[in-house]
Parts: sequence; structure tokens; C-alpha cells
Amino acid sequence: MFDFPYFITMLPDIWKAFKETVVMIGIALLISIVIGLPLGVLLFVTDKGLFWENRFVKNIFGFAVNLVRSIPFIILLVALFPLTKLLVGTTIGPIAASVSLSVAAIPYFARLVESSLRDIDKGVIEATIAVGATPWMIIKDVLLPEARSTIIRGITLTVISLVAYSAMAGTIGGGGIGDLAIRFGYYRYDNTIMISTVVILIVFVQLIQLIGEQYAKSIDKR
Amino acid sequence: MLEFQNITKIYESKNKQVVGVDNVSIKINRGDIFGIVGYSGAGKSSLLRCVNLLERPTSGKVLVDDIDLTQLSSSALRKARLKIGMIFQHFYLISQKTVGENIAFALRAADTPKKDIDGRVKELLEMVGLTDKKDVFPGQLSGGQKQRVGIARALANNPSILLCDEATSALDPKTTLSILKLLKKINEKLGITIVLITHEMDVVKEICNRMAIMQDGQVIEEGEVYDIFAQPNKPLTKEFINSVVSFEIPKDILANVKGQVIKLLFKGDVAGEGVISDTIQQFDVKGNFLHGIIEYIQERPLGIFIMELQGEKAVVDEAKKYMEQRGALVEVVQHV
Repeated sequence: MFDFPYFITMLPDIWKAFKETVVMIGIALLISIVIGLPLGVLLFVTDKGLFWENRFVKNIFGFAVNLVRSIPFIILLVALFPLTKLLVGTTIGPIAASVSLSVAAIPYFARLVESSLRDIDKGVIEATIAVGATPWMIIKDVLLPEARSTIIRGITLTVISLVAYSAMAGTIGGGGIGDLAIRFGYYRYDNTIMISTVVILIVFVQLIQLIGEQYAKSIDKR
Repeated sequence: MLEFQNITKIYESKNKQVVGVDNVSIKINRGDIFGIVGYSGAGKSSLLRCVNLLERPTSGKVLVDDIDLTQLSSSALRKARLKIGMIFQHFYLISQKTVGENIAFALRAADTPKKDIDGRVKELLEMVGLTDKKDVFPGQLSGGQKQRVGIARALANNPSILLCDEATSALDPKTTLSILKLLKKINEKLGITIVLITHEMDVVKEICNRMAIMQDGQVIEEGEVYDIFAQPNKPLTKEFINSVVSFEIPKDILANVKGQVIKLLFKGDVAGEGVISDTIQQFDVKGNFLHGIIEYIQERPLGIFIMELQGEKAVVDEAKKYMEQRGALVEVVQHV
């Protein structure tokens, strides 16, 4: 079932695939944090009763987020080919895959940020409004620090979702571990590669979860 | 000076309107410690939150030193809020920032120069008695200590008004007392006007000089705490005062009383016992104490005695008249 000498000969391929997965997840994560974090904050502070209450903005962005989130990833992947081609010049490879991964992860992470912010006691926000703080100060010194731990947990969740999505992206030329699993494990009935990739993904996800959780705990001062 | 002019706050929910505050007008003088008392839902919290416009009144004006806050732009309102401190029942400190950072936050809101912040934080911590807690996170503090941090934060920018939203309701009696003492000290030392809302009459008795009682969104009674304690007019006011100064006399005892039961009230320096013993010596009546207490409110004594007077009706009436002449307030509780 598991052919160890064969596994050793395949190690360079597995390693290359793993690096590709890390690259596409890394890029997608970075972009989803850079765009998703402000978007999540915006969704929160434009909500009813908050200092930038604005139904119009809230509804527009809320709609856009829901729209992207309601499209199955495999369809989004294909639908975004023109955009990917425009941005990266190709639709093949991990960099190309990171475009659609980012588009999928941004709204996901934004919603996680929004719900982290919603968990903050409204009274704490109110108290800082009463102090006379500017909205910017409240975002920077109250909302983000108070939600820091749960946002870290949100990043962990996003990475784990990205791992799953990246496997899908692999099937249509994105490369990475998912690609390897499909090409060898599925098409060629190569159990050794199938088992190796599954084990790698399990270990990878467990590690991310563990590190994320530990870090989230260590920075929480409550 | 802080003045509410015809404040009304209506909450709109799906298919009904709820009147939270109903046409309230109150004037609070500089340096007052003003207590607003009422059961939950009476509108006192809504009214308090109208001072710094955490809630906007549906109609009416909030005047702070003759400036109508409801007319200010959002940036002007933010500046005005720097001068109105507020503390809360649940403290509401930033849990991920140290005590020092929490206080510094308020100072930064007022654009305090960076170099002055450390010194001012130290000063404020000294004032509230927490000098050694600067680098501690709020989660490691007791309730009383958290409230002290809340007070330090509220006072950071030298406000002229301090709002206390049930500030001691989450604290045990001993801690409550220490927080009240601190508030009193701040009031005396810095001349800050304090407006507090509470459902605990003890709090009002302890530190307030003036008070208002709210019911169903309206102020039903307002005045000097001493006067209201001496002569509450409304049933609700009496109920609240009874929670602190109770004159329940067991039914069995009242049933066995032969004479007239009267309640005597001596305000300030009228020496109650002296008046009573003089009366009993001068008139042909027998006196019998059923209840009595001397309360000190704002350090002024308030004597309240319930006694039975036995004798000829005409003599008893004359005795009552005599006591009234000597400054007592006489109220008949039960006729023969």
C-alpha cells in the first residue's frame, strides 16, 4: 500500500508541491488580511448605533461580501480566469491561483473580523466615545486591540479554509499539494502519494491550528 | 452649570413607541452632587446619557455652561465630551491595555503633548490611590480598583462634570463606601459637579446634596436631599426613603396602643429629646416611645420619633401645638 522507497524518490516533487501551496496560501492570506481587515472594520463601524453608522455603505459592502461568499469556490475559480489573466498574465501556477484564493478569502476573513468586533462589549466602545476619542483612535486603540485574539483565531480559520481551497485550485492548474494528490493519487491510483499528501495536509492544518490558538491565547490579557 | 430643558426621549421599536424620558427639566448647580433615583426603567439612565449625548434626546436641550450640546457639530461635541467625565457600573476599561494606557488613552483624546502624559497618568493614579498598578491589566484588578481606574480616566482631562451611571451598583458595600468617599473628595477638592444615578438610597444619603426621583420617565420630586428625607411627598419617594430609614411598627404593638400615635420630626439643631421631655413635664400627658432614630444627612441631624401620647384629647392637642411651636413637625399616625 505505502511504497516507502518510491516515497523517497518522490520527495523532491512533494517538497516542490508543498512550497507551491505555501506560496499561494501565503499570498492569498496576506491580501485577505490587507483588504479583509479594513473591510471587516468598515462593516462593523457603519452598522446601526456605531460612530460611522451608514446604511448605504453597510448594505453595498455587505451585499458584495455575501455575493462572493455565495459562489462555490470551484466556480469562482473559473469565473475569475479573465481577472487572473489580466493581473498575473497566466492562469497556471501558484501565483495565478492566489488571485482567486484571495478573492474568496477576503470576504470570509472580513466577516470573521466583523464578528470579532461585534463580540466587544458595546459599553467599552461607548466609554471611549464618552471620553471624547476620535473614531480613528477608537478603531486603533479599542476595536483592534480588544478583538486581537479573536482576529488571530480568524486568521487561523482563514488559513485552514485556504488550505482546502488551494487543493481545489490545484485541480485546474494551480499546482501545490492538491494538484499532486489529484494527478498521482486520483488519476494514477498512486496510494503512496495520496496518503503522503493527506498526511501532510493533516499535519499542516493541525500545526496552524495549534500555533494560532497558542498565539491567540498568549496575547489575550483578559 | 448643567441644565436639562424639556428633555424627552422616545424609543421607537417595531410597532410601538416607548417614552424613556418624559419632558424633564432640571437645573444642576456647579459643585452639586446630584442624585437621580428611580427603579430600573424609570428613565434615569437615559436621562444621564443625554448629558454627553451618548443618547440624543428626541426633543429638548442639554445646556452645559449655557451651551446647548444638542446643537454642536460632531467635532465640537467630541471636544465638549472631554470636559464631561463618565464612569459606569461595569467600568468598561479597555481590557487589552494596561491601567496606565487606559488613562493615557483619555489624555491622547485631548491631544495632550506626549511628554506630559506620563506625569499626568502618575498624578491621576495617585489621586485614586493606585500608584502601583500602572502596568497591570484591568483583568487583574478587583471591582473597586477597576472603578478607580474608571474614575482616573474620567478625570484625566479636568472635566467640569462627572457622570456616574450606577457606578457602585456592582460593588460590595465596603467598596461602595470607599468609592463614594473618593467621589466626595474629588467633588470637594476639584469642585467637579457630580451627577449620579442609582437605585440605592444609601448612596444618595451618603454623598448627594440634591436629588431627583424619577418614575415612568418623569421627575416626580426634586430638591435638597435633607428636605426630601425629612418630608417626602410622593409615595415612591417614601418607599425609597423607607429602604434606608424604616419606621415599621409591628401591628400588635399598634393595636395595643391606647393614646394617639404621632410622628415627630426634628430638623437640624432642634434638640428632639429636650422638646419631648419639656412637653411631658408641662402637660398632663403620658408619652411612650414606639420608635426613634437620629439620622445624619449631609452631617445635619434629622430626628424622627414615633410616640404615643395619652391624655385628655384637648390636652394632647395642646401638647402637639406646643411641640410645633418648638420647631417640631407633628404628624398624626393613628387616632385613638
